[in-house]
Amino acid sequence: MSSFPRLARTGHTSHCKICLSGLPFSQVEVDASRIAVIFYCLGAMDLLGTLSAKTSETDRQKWRDWFWEQQTSGKYGTGFKPSTYMTPQGGNDEYSDYDIPHLVMTYTALLSLAILRDDFSKLDRPGILRFMRACQREDGSFSALPDGGEADLRSVYCAFALSNMLDDWSGVDVDRAVSYIQRCSSYEGGYGQTPYHEALGGTTYCAVAALYLAPSTAHSSPETRMTPAERARTIRWLTQNQTSSGGFRGRTGKLADACYCFWCGATLTILGVGNLVDSTALAMFMAQCQYKFGGIAKAPSERPDPYHTYLSLASLALHPSREGDSSWDLSPLNVFWNITEETARWIKDHIPGYKA
Amino acid sequence: MSAAFDDSSDEQQLYAADPEWADVVPLQQYEGVDPIAPIFYSEEYKDATDYFRGIVKTGEMSPKVLKLTEHIIRMNPAHYSAWQYRYKTLIALNSPLKAELELMDNFAIQFLKTYQVWHHRRLLLGALRSVDVAVRELAFVTRTLRTDTKNYHTWSYRQWILAHFNDEARLWPGELPWVEELLEEDVRNNSAWHHRFFVVWQSGVRRDEVDREEVLRRELAFTKEKISLAPNNQSAWNYLRGVLDHTHTPYASLTSFVQPYTVGAPSDPEDSIVDLENPRPSAGAELPSLPALEFLADIYEAEGGDGISKAVRIWKSLADEHDTIRKKYWEYRIKDALHGAQ
Repeated sequence: MSSFPRLARTGHTSHCKICLSGLPFSQVEVDASRIAVIFYCLGAMDLLGTLSAKTSETDRQKWRDWFWEQQTSGKYGTGFKPSTYMTPQGGNDEYSDYDIPHLVMTYTALLSLAILRDDFSKLDRPGILRFMRACQREDGSFSALPDGGEADLRSVYCAFALSNMLDDWSGVDVDRAVSYIQRCSSYEGGYGQTPYHEALGGTTYCAVAALYLAPSTAHSSPETRMTPAERARTIRWLTQNQTSSGGFRGRTGKLADACYCFWCGATLTILGVGNLVDSTALAMFMAQCQYKFGGIAKAPSERPDPYHTYLSLASLALHPSREGDSSWDLSPLNVFWNITEETARWIKDHIPGYKA
Repeated sequence: MSAAFDDSSDEQQLYAADPEWADVVPLQQYEGVDPIAPIFYSEEYKDATDYFRGIVKTGEMSPKVLKLTEHIIRMNPAHYSAWQYRYKTLIALNSPLKAELELMDNFAIQFLKTYQVWHHRRLLLGALRSVDVAVRELAFVTRTLRTDTKNYHTWSYRQWILAHFNDEARLWPGELPWVEELLEEDVRNNSAWHHRFFVVWQSGVRRDEVDREEVLRRELAFTKEKISLAPNNQSAWNYLRGVLDHTHTPYASLTSFVQPYTVGAPSDPEDSIVDLENPRPSAGAELPSLPALEFLADIYEAEGGDGISKAVRIWKSLADEHDTIRKKYWEYRIKDALHGAQ
């Protein structure tokens, strides 16, 4: 037991803090998804419990202001854009067709604002519902942008999580979306990114979480959206993905990657069998993915990034190993929203109109 | 990834100094409040995107916009606004879309993992509405998959082409032989197995495959053969299960095939009559095969009665000996079966 590795809490916090202060040009690809990167940094610090000690209230106030500047309204309704990368000096009164809100960014923005303990008084609730309606397509899927762009299970999940946070499902045609999700189910037991594609860990989480998040309708309920045989097949495929390295892979036959420890493990948790994860093997894998200067990488001896750092910590929060010392203590995670329970509670208490 | 514009990128002059761009008013990026996690842009990227924001403001769609968006995309292939504007400009100018597709060949290989590269191709194909082009694209995908045999975007794109054009004479016939080639090279390529399922079971019935019983026999024979080469290959076993589930064929129909894979060492070949329908594990195979043990336990469990205790015995051996990382899963199966049997 004494030889069990430690979680490098200080290193991971400083990795996130450095990213929040600025990203090198080699990261320019996140220009169009910057809010997500910020969410991973804030989320990691929230899980570690280091946010209030390691950042100042002045910083957090500035960040809240910055987030609200990304909330933007126009002909498709209201949502958050990834950053100001397409916003010209002087700003826009209404967004242009090339500076519109993004569904996935809207989901991560609400989570980030909750981590920063915003009071949500500036939230345009009806506008966001209108925006979601504009994103749903004929086949039941959602596109990330109302006038096109990627339409797949990721956006479906974000629309469902947002509806759940707002406690209002009027922005979503649940039955059509559920039937889309079911069409993404693969013979292996996982779900592909879109119908008929290969089973993949991340989109399997999106599918299963969405099936359980949506309220009952006249046609389906969370209990009936997967048959017992489908559920058994999904559990089988998910557990099969934990490899001898201790980590999970995202597809049959591939190598383990830290992010799939969250996607696969969290899906098992949603299905009520999170205890099937070998949590000690998982922690040993994560320990090897830790980068010597902080942050967690997708695999041993790779470079870390906020995405893998956050998801690794989220996975460790869901599946704590009994072997680990107090360095492994993390805040409990709300598996449906992918945020700490405390922050989820904040959302329920502060998002206007939350009835539960 | 910061990609160079082209080989002469060092001399790439800024748009601000280019007379061709003198008529465009550049618009700097808005940063009202102190930004969080700002990206430290290069001078070249900042200059190009300033001019792009200027273009978007006026709505100009001209050949020079195509050059600008290409430049931005080469620096940042995930810049979806540049992609969107580029596509609209191509359509507005009535540009030759086949030439665009050729340009994209180079992009796709350089930026294989970027979604937008593939999305743009789909838009082009949708606009071109040509089976000839679709045929060309399948050939392109075949080449691309040689460099990265499991790239998710590439595979999705291929499946999209097949379903979108759905051409019985010119697109579908090559798929099965091609999948077989891929599995010949790497029998563990799960994407190829998945594609096989898509082609045989999901995309509608092929003209020469109306006899579904015959298709089932062929698929079982094919899969058994591949399992005999690599008995622990999870991809082949998952395909086998997928076929059986899809056709509602009981797993028990494969008992005599599975059994030789569940024992510790291959039985003496002298002892056994060669059974073409049930190929035995190849020489030197690592036995027992875990997926075979699991499969046999499923057969026993479905049998019920005494079968349950036989299944439990296998699950115990998996939990304690052969597959300890999934110990809790096998124990869960035991609990579940015993509970169900009561």
